[in-house]
Amino acid sequence: MSNVSLEVTPQQQRELERFYFHEARLLDNRQYLQWLALLSEDVRYLIPSRVNVPVDNRLRGQETMISVERELEGEDSMGCPLREENYLLLMLRAQRAYKINSWSEHPPARTRRMVGNIELMARQGDTLSVLTNFHLYYARPGNENVIYSGQRRDTLLSLAEGFRIARREVVLDYANIDLPTLGLFF
Amino acid sequence: MRRRVSELVNQDASLISRRCWSDAAVYELEKRGIFAKSWLFLGHESQIRSPGDFVQAYMCETPIILSRGQNGSLYANINSCSHRGLPVCRADHGNTKRFVCPYHNWSYTVEGDLVTIPQESEVLHKPDKSQLGLKRVPRLESWRGMIFGSFNEQIIPLEDYLGDMRFYLDAFFNRFPAGIEFMGAPQRWVINANWKLPVENQLGDVNHGAFLHSAIIPREAQDIIEKLGYSVVTTPGHGATFRLMPEGGPVDDVAWGMEAVGSIFGGDDVQNYLREIQARAAERVGDVRARMKGLTYGIYPNLSFLWSNTSFKVSHPRGPGKVEYWSWAVVPADAPDPIKRILRTNYSSFFGPAGILEQEDSEVWSQQFLGSNIDFADDRPYYYGLGVGEEVPHADFPGLVSVTANEFYARNFFTRWRDELQAVEDDL
Repeated sequence: MSNVSLEVTPQQQRELERFYFHEARLLDNRQYLQWLALLSEDVRYLIPSRVNVPVDNRLRGQETMISVERELEGEDSMGCPLREENYLLLMLRAQRAYKINSWSEHPPARTRRMVGNIELMARQGDTLSVLTNFHLYYARPGNENVIYSGQRRDTLLSLAEGFRIARREVVLDYANIDLPTLGLFF
Repeated sequence: MRRRVSELVNQDASLISRRCWSDAAVYELEKRGIFAKSWLFLGHESQIRSPGDFVQAYMCETPIILSRGQNGSLYANINSCSHRGLPVCRADHGNTKRFVCPYHNWSYTVEGDLVTIPQESEVLHKPDKSQLGLKRVPRLESWRGMIFGSFNEQIIPLEDYLGDMRFYLDAFFNRFPAGIEFMGAPQRWVINANWKLPVENQLGDVNHGAFLHSAIIPREAQDIIEKLGYSVVTTPGHGATFRLMPEGGPVDDVAWGMEAVGSIFGGDDVQNYLREIQARAAERVGDVRARMKGLTYGIYPNLSFLWSNTSFKVSHPRGPGKVEYWSWAVVPADAPDPIKRILRTNYSSFFGPAGILEQEDSEVWSQQFLGSNIDFADDRPYYYGLGVGEEVPHADFPGLVSVTANEFYARNFFTRWRDELQAVEDDL
């Protein structure tokens, strides 16, 4: 992937924006079943672990010395990512929200997310690579209010019925996991 | 503290004061009476295979560097410079020749010896560097790759400390031709709870499963636990729960890992791999232990093992009302890499800071702390009396054995806890 986003028309950018704003509203409105319909059935939903690694002396003076990628233990690593989920697991999480005995969601969290910095990084046929950033405000009785921050690295399919998420990797900006849960849909 | 330890836990530990969970003075006693005296889990040898490898660890709130020295031996030192006290290691894990303090660049070998004081050439009297190394953890022992340290120089050998828990741990470790290994850095997260409740939960409390987790765990799973489940206490504070599957049952019912979601979605390769391990389990661990299908284990004071979702966990206190919970995915050491990557999701899908079950545990552990910290309820200690005196010896299983609803695992933990606090309560 090039480091510079593709040139897109205002119309193309607007279509992406419209999709992501719709998705954000579904999630904040707790309409998770409608959100599931935005996923392709072979979706991969990933959150790498983020670790503190030693400086590599050989990389000094170079940008790669402190690259974000060095901190991530993702699906190809032999570490332990935070989440590696498929459609069925996401569906389990979504359906759980509507059960009367899902105790950690009752009462449910009040969330509000801002999604921005929408960049189309690559396109191959109907497959798009899109980066977005988010801030997510989270308030739940019994917890301190917190803000989640992160980047989403998506693979979208552009289909006749609209965009579908085929893969999402969420890079969370945490140092210590002092957060109520990482089990949200980011 | 306003009261004596003997007032916190009654004689048979069927009543546990709320102050056990919330009182800052009790926590100070725990540091002196328990964390300064016990074997504490630091890490697994698979994390530090080569000379110069290191990982971070904690002993209660004390930061530790666990490393493999240039001679291949294990070392554990307190991560604090002898000059001004800064941590000399900031990375979670890695390989290095030196740990360097940022402040004045005093530097230490991976074994913890001080080798460089940049300023010493400018003064006439040279410090004795041999006396200024990192503070070494005085006792360090390893069993089946599990490394423990202790600040108690007089502590009994680790194998004696583990005692009959080795029988139950070996039912897991020896199941695999090359033992197990830990995958990557621990997942570590903060919970506003007292450290003992995660410990109690993993020591024997499988009875909350079908209730707290009823949105996910079906009632039938609880029925199997009630029918086939055992709870064992080998030594007060150590315990195990497991199902003993019937003789001659289908391999898929008993094989380790088959019941977890990663394996269920993982396809034929991983499922056949698990069946092959089970096919030879009796050769490795004997007929009875081959039919064991573990649930939870606890090693006093704060190490837990979750067999069904395959992770080791440590509940590190951060004061009476805060825990830094660490957990590692554990996999068979000789599994092919693609299978290891599938098996780790048996842990991470349901447990860890994003775990669909663990988020419910974290929630109730935090809420228990709130209940333990309220005013005007000190005359209502928590009821720990389910099944008092109903545990008995068993022909096949060392320790005392009972149904899983018997809370003797917790009562035994708290009698040991009470006695160890009483031994130091007049020292303060």
